Amino acid sequence: MLFPSRYSLERWSYTLQRITGVVVTLYFVLHVIETGNFVGGPSVWYVPPYDYARAYYEEIREFLHNPVFDVGLVIIGWMVAFHAVNGLRLTLAHFGVTLGRPSRVEPEAPPRSFSPLQRAIFWISIAIAVFAVVYSLNALMGVLAA
Amino acid sequence: MSERRLMLLHYVTGIGILITGAVHLWVVFFTVPLDQTIWETTMLFDNHPFAILSVYRNALLASTLWLLLVFTTYHAMNGIRVILMELIPNRSFVSAIKWVLIALGLFLVVYGTRTILIAYNIR
Repeated sequence: MLFPSRYSLERWSYTLQRITGVVVTLYFVLHVIETGNFVGGPSVWYVPPYDYARAYYEEIREFLHNPVFDVGLVIIGWMVAFHAVNGLRLTLAHFGVTLGRPSRVEPEAPPRSFSPLQRAIFWISIAIAVFAVVYSLNALMGVLAA
Repeated sequence: MSERRLMLLHYVTGIGILITGAVHLWVVFFTVPLDQTIWETTMLFDNHPFAILSVYRNALLASTLWLLLVFTTYHAMNGIRVILMELIPNRSFVSAIKWVLIALGLFLVVYGTRTILIAYNIR
């Protein structure tokens, strides 16, 4: 059902939107747990001393600051950018914007939900996702400055 | 709540994530000079205009983070529900998974709110 190769470009968009959604959700859950370390970890439910929170965070920062996590974040950056722009396309389609005027549906015609403008936004989402990869590679690993 | 309203909320929270997520990304990534990395700037604990504590101590930015947390939690949990519903269209499975996702969503909002409130008050 999810495998899109036998179908149109719209099915690729459908599948990619779901895969990126699931992966970004997993990242989001981990991110909420991981950012809990800013205040001294999961057991802290009071305002800790500044030095305690700082020392706890520095340890975690040391652990996270390595190329494996950086590459993981670049992939997440690609997925977030694609999911966001493609999601905007779906939102526009949901409210009937960008779909053109209603008309008779001809046999074998391409899906009305994937108008030329919708198709263009899909490719823009891919382009912005590629830009996100380059930008995050530099922001995380300094590849342009090197 | 009807399926129509759940999906309307899905799109509304999606737009909300675009706005609050843009602020979050701007703070973490786009304030960083091109010749530096986030590890040298925004991922510092303190003593930088957009270091972690500086962001959490700013009431406006902290509120934006909280909105992002709530919007993303709803959007993610409902998104997973829709995907599972399409893959396994079984009424009792869908009902069971709904409560699991509500529990996970509540945990995320409570834990994330704790982090934001405590970090706001660290001095």
